[in-house]
Amino acid sequence: MRAAVAAAGVLMALAGCATGPSIKPTGQAVELTEVPFFSQQRYQCGPAALATVLVDSGVRVSPEDLVPLVYVPDRKGSFQPELKAAARRYDRLPYVLAPEPAALLAELDAGNPVLVLQNLLFDWWPQWHYAVVVGYYPDRKQLVLRSGTSERRIESFRSFFRSWQGAGNWAVVALQPGQIPASAAPARYVAMAAESESLIPASAMALVFEAGLQAWPDDADMAFAAANHARLQGDPVAAATRYRQALRIEANHVGALNNFSDLLFTEGCIASAGTQIAIARGLVPAGSPLDPVITATAEAIEAAPQTQDEGPLCDRLTSSSFRR
Amino acid sequence: MVIKRLICSLISVAFFGTGMLMPVQAAMVGTQAYLQTSDRQANIAIVDAALLRSDVQQQLADLGVDVENARQRVAGLPDRDLARLAEEIESMPAGGTSLLAVVGIVFIVLLILEVTGVIDIFKGR
Repeated sequence: MRAAVAAAGVLMALAGCATGPSIKPTGQAVELTEVPFFSQQRYQCGPAALATVLVDSGVRVSPEDLVPLVYVPDRKGSFQPELKAAARRYDRLPYVLAPEPAALLAELDAGNPVLVLQNLLFDWWPQWHYAVVVGYYPDRKQLVLRSGTSERRIESFRSFFRSWQGAGNWAVVALQPGQIPASAAPARYVAMAAESESLIPASAMALVFEAGLQAWPDDADMAFAAANHARLQGDPVAAATRYRQALRIEANHVGALNNFSDLLFTEGCIASAGTQIAIARGLVPAGSPLDPVITATAEAIEAAPQTQDEGPLCDRLTSSSFRR
Repeated sequence: MVIKRLICSLISVAFFGTGMLMPVQAAMVGTQAYLQTSDRQANIAIVDAALLRSDVQQQLADLGVDVENARQRVAGLPDRDLARLAEEIESMPAGGTSLLAVVGIVFIVLLILEVTGVIDIFKGR
């Protein structure tokens, strides 16, 4: 059995080498010459790289400001979650790219410098390094980076993509609230928004959801996320509009059914709340992670003293005046 | 030796850190909690589909592993392990007729079994 595993491992490894990343970028060379450069101090590539993308996105910050936020002296380095957290402290949204060369190049095409993690040595003896990719030349198969102490470091596709792959193809862009990354996919974008929601001011988050809904008006999760945000901001009418939007896109969206029901219940629209939660209950099997929440909502509604839509907002919450 | 190290490091990268995030017992489902549970359903479906392939089932049978048992264990995996497994399976060459694809599937099956605790081949002596 061990031999079988070993054989599988060898073949997998060979497959990795044989195929490698296949990059065939076509079209124009890109170099974002206006992206600032901060020379790294000792091991502090994390603060320097983060300052590079933050300043480029309009934040006034220096690497020194960022050191206490992201640099871990014991490790002589910074961790990815801390870089993301620090970006949020400056009201920028860290969007982690799909782990593919095409996504990275698409961001450069759109003028967004990309913060990348590289492994400069081996899998078993890693040396991690953060740098910022600011351009690429398809004809010469080269990329341009702000890296370490070099303001315009040239790396071949081959060596860069190998070092990047060694770090899991991790790359991030710092978005202004309301900005949609060039390579964005709705699921990744909405996950980013949800992850940042409690850490970025509500007014900025409203822009994030608005832009997301504008870019992907047919994404039920996006409408659901925007609805939850509106509700947490104390706007039941806007929230109801978005929940209904989510349910028009995906009638069986269990999250939207539950939360819309809970909203209606809270506003005293008991009959309508009961209708929504009954649909949700029919969709979720026992043992599903959402089952306890839906059961709790249903039980709360069943235990309510009255059974009518008596709240003052019920008409507005349930009517489809959305296209007004 | 090198192979073993490769596999061990693969495992440690793949399955480091877990912790299942259940939605809190409240009436409103948070966006993040919802996205995680819906990812979870999608990932279970992907891994389950791989386990139901006839070539994979053949391999499981050859190893003397009960398919139903493996499927149940997969359903109980922590989110992160599940996500990683689904990702591995998704990145397999499509079609599944080439030697490489079959070997890849075997490798994944062994990973699944290791993670789910059916066998512990990767814990070398």
